[in-house]
Amino acid sequence: MEKKKCIPNRLPPEVYKALENIVGPEYISQDRAVVECYSKFCVDSTGALKKHAKDPSNIPACIILPGSTEEVQAIVHVCNRYKTKFIPFTNGMITFNGPATNEPTVCIHVSRMNRVLDVDETTMSARLEAFADYAQVQADAMKKGLWNGGSPLATTLSKLSSQSAFAGVWQTDHKYGTLGRNIVSIKLVTAGGDILVTGSDTVAGVDDFWEYGPGPDLFSLVRGSGGTTGIVTEIVVKLHAWPGGKSLPEPPAGRPSIPTYADPKHDTGPAPDRYRLLWIEFPDFESELAALRKIGQACIGQGLNATGVYNAYYCSQTQDMTLERVENKFFPPYNCYVIIGGVTSEKQIAYEEAVVRDIIAETGGTFLNDAHKADVIEALAPWNLDCIRHVTGFRMNRHSYCGSNILGGPVDTVARKTRQVWSKAIETFGETYVTDRGGMDDTPFLYSSNHGGRFWLTEADVYPDQTKPELLQKGQALVVCGIINTIADKYGPGANGLGVSIEPVTSFMPEVGPNAHLLFRGIRDIFDPNGLCAPGRQIFSKQEYEQFPEQALAGLNKMRQMHGLDPVER
Amino acid sequence: MALQKSDIEAIVGAGNVADDDATIAAFSSDQSAVAPRRPDMVAYVQSVEQIQNIVKLANETLTPVTPYSSGLNLHGAAIAGQGGIIINMSRMNKILALDEDNWYVIIEPGVTYEQLQNHLVSKGYRIMVPFGVPPGRSVLTSYLERDPVMAAPSFEHGNFLIMDTELVLPNGALFKTGNWTSGGEPGAPAGPIRNSLFRMWTAAQGTLGIMTKMGLQIEPIPQRKVFFIPLHNVACAVKPLKQIQYREIGTECLLLNNFNLAAMLNDEWTVPADFPAAPASTERFTALRSLLPPWVLIVSVNGLPRRSAEKIAYEEEALRQVCDEANIELLETIPNISGAAQLFESEMLRPWSILKKFNFKGHVRDLTFKCPVNKVDELIEIASKTSCDGGYNCTHIGVYVLPLERARALHCEIDLHCLMSEAATVNSLWLKVSEALMNAGAYFDRPYGAWAPMVYGRAAGYSDMLRNLKKETDPNNIMNPGKLCFTN
Ligand SMILES: Cc1cc2nc3c(=O)[nH]c(=O)nc-3n(C[C@H](O)[C@H](O)[C@H](O)COP(=O)(O)OP(=O)(O)OC[C@H]3O[C@@H](n4cnc5c(N)ncnc54)[C@H](O)[C@@H]3O)c2cc1C
Repeated sequence: MEKKKCIPNRLPPEVYKALENIVGPEYISQDRAVVECYSKFCVDSTGALKKHAKDPSNIPACIILPGSTEEVQAIVHVCNRYKTKFIPFTNGMITFNGPATNEPTVCIHVSRMNRVLDVDETTMSARLEAFADYAQVQADAMKKGLWNGGSPLATTLSKLSSQSAFAGVWQTDHKYGTLGRNIVSIKLVTAGGDILVTGSDTVAGVDDFWEYGPGPDLFSLVRGSGGTTGIVTEIVVKLHAWPGGKSLPEPPAGRPSIPTYADPKHDTGPAPDRYRLLWIEFPDFESELAALRKIGQACIGQGLNATGVYNAYYCSQTQDMTLERVENKFFPPYNCYVIIGGVTSEKQIAYEEAVVRDIIAETGGTFLNDAHKADVIEALAPWNLDCIRHVTGFRMNRHSYCGSNILGGPVDTVARKTRQVWSKAIETFGETYVTDRGGMDDTPFLYSSNHGGRFWLTEADVYPDQTKPELLQKGQALVVCGIINTIADKYGPGANGLGVSIEPVTSFMPEVGPNAHLLFRGIRDIFDPNGLCAPGRQIFSKQEYEQFPEQALAGLNKMRQMHGLDPVER
Repeated sequence: MALQKSDIEAIVGAGNVADDDATIAAFSSDQSAVAPRRPDMVAYVQSVEQIQNIVKLANETLTPVTPYSSGLNLHGAAIAGQGGIIINMSRMNKILALDEDNWYVIIEPGVTYEQLQNHLVSKGYRIMVPFGVPPGRSVLTSYLERDPVMAAPSFEHGNFLIMDTELVLPNGALFKTGNWTSGGEPGAPAGPIRNSLFRMWTAAQGTLGIMTKMGLQIEPIPQRKVFFIPLHNVACAVKPLKQIQYREIGTECLLLNNFNLAAMLNDEWTVPADFPAAPASTERFTALRSLLPPWVLIVSVNGLPRRSAEKIAYEEEALRQVCDEANIELLETIPNISGAAQLFESEMLRPWSILKKFNFKGHVRDLTFKCPVNKVDELIEIASKTSCDGGYNCTHIGVYVLPLERARALHCEIDLHCLMSEAATVNSLWLKVSEALMNAGAYFDRPYGAWAPMVYGRAAGYSDMLRNLKKETDPNNIMNPGKLCFTN
């Protein structure tokens, strides 16, 4: 039998030449090894499934490394002239797919644009190029007594530009909100090749100090667009007072990359100066929720999160250890931690701790400390640093991340809803590993996203092994099932309380909005008149919508009907 | 085909459409310098469905539609610049929900600050209110127009208090944002499809749709202690203000010049019900002013729901440290003035006594802009000098400065006062000062009236994208046409 070959399409030579003329031959390549190395979306289950099926449509035709906004714009102009599809790329740690098209696609990798351009103490902001990451901005800002307010568990290597176009959920959302609340301005090369600057910076002669542009806010259309609106080349982020010293007390570097290596010293450091983490366990879900609500409404602290099964991922040094700890319930099933910091003075820490102690006494929780479960509190030490600058997450000792149900809302309803939706999905399709049960028999991951604890995010994830296609498929079914169930139950914008919708559920869930997809298809046309950028991703262009395979639509409709919704017709 | 009164009557009921002269005249202007324009009719709507039906009909007949809630925007935003129909939502004035478990309210467009705050205070809560807002102003419209609230110096309180929303899109379709978006319960701001979509409709002056419901954060009324820091000039306020904000001391914080402070303290003046107001005697005002320091920085240190006194105590200690280091006085009242502490206690919930300034000459031409903290002194100086050079008595300038998000930016309002007879001269001076401020880097992020071409002329890329958005969402250009950069 002939072995199926997986060969991506090539760009027409004239397009390649035109692109090469922009950056020079050293910054463009269509060598398969180079392209795959630069363009890997590492937790992309659709891409992994395509690899199993020897389907090359997830592999770009060429990789190009622009060095400036002007070069990015020139590349986008060429792509528009030749109607060539392209995707913006930073680290590839997102759960979206790569180019979902058989047409040859250009991967625009912004890794040469990696500087922190300015840290401004007056306006408490930092201007970054597209590839500058959380660690860079924190290191520079902390020297001036400032920081950016958090980092995602996707690790501190995530870029703020890509996060501005996607997520940006931090352990410190309780005080600082998600990244979306912390952006002053972006410079975007739109998918059509124009430059859009948002915030006060868009007005000639005005500094970059205020996040709203004149009149209606256009940033809100880019935020969460997953790269479909264009390429962010610069971003100005807000900074906040940082009382924790000029640098972070980081653990020793040099952890060998060996799956069985298990020395915790590389993951554990003390909390920064003037910061404390208080860990609490609860006898049951009800007392945990009562405490979360009360702590949220005490309006103290920088972070307030219940970490559930995540403690096993983030605090175990090997995958076996993760599974073993989940099975043996090493970490308390109902828990939370509070991050308190002394911004005003040391006395703020004493005050806030006293408030937490009052609440824990009222709700029947127990503090974890050297006298109570010393081994657990020691194992939780990675959070000391990770809550500020997440360094251990990408090692994440679980299998590959396939997707999540992320719901938003008031703590009681969102926590219970996540449990209900995720349990139904797992009961219907089964788990890939025991870790998928996180949130069913213990607390779901809960992040307070508002300083009065008014609204929260939850997360339930699935982690199949990428080498096993049947597990990847099961993982996808779990996620889609959760999303559809949530919408069918009229709970929020789909299983993404972050407001970041992912196709195909965007186009085929008209209940949301209602018909939010129609509004957004129009908006996509404004940013991307030729339908070229990040193909197949967040909001299908008309063409992509029409070409969505019948079989896949039938599958979606089956899932809709399973949840009591009528099938959609195109 | 032109829209007929009877068509609208069929939607809202016979007694709810007005096109008589008195009504039309009343809706053709406000106190601003924006040119009056008569609408064809005013429809008093009672429901979202009525609004949807009017908008659909307006699309069929290409009739301009201007949404109107309380008409107290005072900058001409609700003047029907191209005629057509005014959709008056003042009768949609229900507080639809007060969620005491999760600290938010859901309101209709006609709900006023006074109405909502009274309701909330009676339950132990407060809504964050912008400084100097008329008590009869629509809360929904005010938040939509991004009026900065008094608590905006604190990052946690400022700038992002909108939760779920409901709108009628320019095509008449109903749309929801936040948790509400799939038709269930509200309770969080994100979505649909994009993270903070509701921001698209802010400061849009109704050009992109009509917001019909809004969820807003509330909080329990805090205990507080108000402090006063007298200062000689703005320059010497900058450093302590920055330090106070960097250390996250206090919630509300406001810098006032003695013109505004005297207006607030003057118990012979009252808050006018209508704008412009009738001028009143200035004797007591002038006397009060002479007793006040040129500038006063006001800081409210607030408690939290638990251990309130302890919280106030450690912040007060930190505030004293900052003032000691800067060698400035920290007072619990204003010297020679009685009742200042009580006045500001009450202002924190109902901050409208500054509107007494309208008693001075009846009309106010304000210059409302944002700037970085290191520019504020220079910009106030430019406004003052340009006014004086233009023949304005520069002792008649009111100023307030509100730090935003721990002073990463400042919101400033500089007022020029005029009698009706002086309006034409002061209007042209006001334009000149606006231009001078913009040239010096002042940011007018809500470009009303004559500011719009000045601001958008400096923001070509942004304007192009806005116009594309407008064309896509409102292809018939019926929604408040002519506003912002949507000038056909
Ligand atoms: C283990 C793990 C944990 C995670 N935890 C969190 C978490 O706690 N919080 C959180 O917010 N997220 C989390 N995520 C998801 C996270 O948002 C993404 O992983 C993050 O955006 C990755 O950043 P990146 O630089 O790798 O982006 P990429 O994956 O390269 O890109 C992200 C998206 O933005 C687009 N994009 C890239 N660069 C640009 C640009 N310059 N302009 C416009 N669009 C661009 C891409 O096309 C893509 O759609 C997690 C992911 C993993 C794998």
